[in-house]
Amino acid sequence: MAYVQIEADERMEEGPERLQFQSFLSTDARAANQESNTGRGYFSDRPKSSGFWQLEYYQPYFDVDTKLVLKRCYTTLLPHSPNYLSAHLTPSADLYGPFWTLTTLIFCLFLSSSLASSISAWLSDPGNTSGAILEYDFGLLSTAVGLVYSYGIGVPVLLWLALRYLGVGEWSVIEAVSVWGYGQFVWIPVALLNINPFPIARWVLTGIAFVVSGWFLVANVYPVLATADAKPVRLVIILLAALHVAVAFCFQILFFGYYPLGEVGPKDPAQPIETAL
Amino acid sequence: MQRLDQEHHEATTPLTSTSQFIEADDDDLDEEAIPSFTHPGLVPSPHSPGQDKGKARAPEQLASAGSAAVSGNIGTPVNGAGAPQPNRRSVGGVQVETRYTGTDTLDEPIATTIGRDLLSIYTKLIQVLYPPRNNGSRDLLRDWDLWGPLILCLMLGILLSVNAPASQSLSVFTSVVVIIALGSLVVTVQAKLLGGRVSFFQGLCALGYCIAPLNIAALVSTFVHLIYVRVPVALASWAWCVWASVNFLDGTKIEQQRILLAVYPLLLFYFVLAWMIIIQ
Repeated sequence: MAYVQIEADERMEEGPERLQFQSFLSTDARAANQESNTGRGYFSDRPKSSGFWQLEYYQPYFDVDTKLVLKRCYTTLLPHSPNYLSAHLTPSADLYGPFWTLTTLIFCLFLSSSLASSISAWLSDPGNTSGAILEYDFGLLSTAVGLVYSYGIGVPVLLWLALRYLGVGEWSVIEAVSVWGYGQFVWIPVALLNINPFPIARWVLTGIAFVVSGWFLVANVYPVLATADAKPVRLVIILLAALHVAVAFCFQILFFGYYPLGEVGPKDPAQPIETAL
Repeated sequence: MQRLDQEHHEATTPLTSTSQFIEADDDDLDEEAIPSFTHPGLVPSPHSPGQDKGKARAPEQLASAGSAAVSGNIGTPVNGAGAPQPNRRSVGGVQVETRYTGTDTLDEPIATTIGRDLLSIYTKLIQVLYPPRNNGSRDLLRDWDLWGPLILCLMLGILLSVNAPASQSLSVFTSVVVIIALGSLVVTVQAKLLGGRVSFFQGLCALGYCIAPLNIAALVSTFVHLIYVRVPVALASWAWCVWASVNFLDGTKIEQQRILLAVYPLLLFYFVLAWMIIIQ
């Protein structure tokens, strides 16, 4: 009786990339594209397999077009939209949106804080009677880069590692980064609106942005945490919420509370904190 | 005569000291596929397969130089013998690119060498900043260099840090150099990831040269401190940068539905620099 020896441990050797495909949601762009074999037809003439050190390996994660990216961005603002939870995942998560959302956010924080400081300086002292020279603190730019990238990329990667360590959920790291990146989209218009010189309005706008982006994160992350067998894993959401509060406060105090020469309108409630810093 | 001399050298020993060795880009397929380069005279002819490409190409250029004026696909002739074309060959498994400058560079005075390099930077600058001049041909850019972008980047950094208050001039210089270096890197990688057919260093080179208008704006704002002058000048030079670099991206054959995705990072990248000029 003849039999053919088969590789019993084939699944074990396929590595984590393939194991994640068990979610059957086809959220992994690489797997999805290899299944359909064409993607959206943009890379039809490219070799299909390449190592992770080659640029071609990452091309499936950038297989988006303008309309799709814009749609994914504004869907994060609309909690009642039917595809609020999965808009950034269909047909597959991308990395273009998250990266450029975060980069635009950094730029908007830089633009807003520098413009706001000069406007509020001009409003508080129209004729520049004191003869003060406005100096913009360029250190804020590098602070913004560090803060935004570490929150928008570092936190989801760490969370993904932690969840893998705990063995929770079928969640790809691309998906995690995508949730965080698109989730911070609301800060871009808010940063631009926060050029207004009224501290109360800035606090309200920051609060709105905090709620919108926080709700998007919770709505997307909690279902993943809830799949864990151990109930305490769900408490991670509290940690994430605390981080989000901290980041919102950092934005407000570092970038939207920038008064070199005095202020206008009602008093800023954060003034004691800022002077303490 | 110099050329014939060089030919002789190359025929006996392929690796002469007069040819510079540059590690080739890993995506030579892309460059060959760019339609603007497929002049019939430049398509490798059947009698020069693979290894003998370097030797066979120079006479071919001489032959096709006459038809260059008709087709307009070959860049501005530098020495009357066509633009210097990099040659590819593999030495010991490593693909290298030899660049033939058109003259014997071994025993020329150093002033001539530097002069020729500056001239090449100048020609590329003109080509990048005013693309219609060469009917959109990017032949000169195949012979990319990073000296031009480096000079422009340092110039911008110095101009801005001179303007900045003394306590911040160092951090301004640092951030300008870092933004330009990382920004052009990211934007080029971005264009490749979106499926643009562009060689990596060629992209870096073109985007680096596109910074030049911002240098002009920074120079103007060094001497003119009126906000009514600086803002329009900076915005105009920003628009110029974007126009020049979009012209470059046009040749990379990115699909229409996603051209905006490739242009947006450029807008952002140059606007950060323009904004730094404005708020000085």
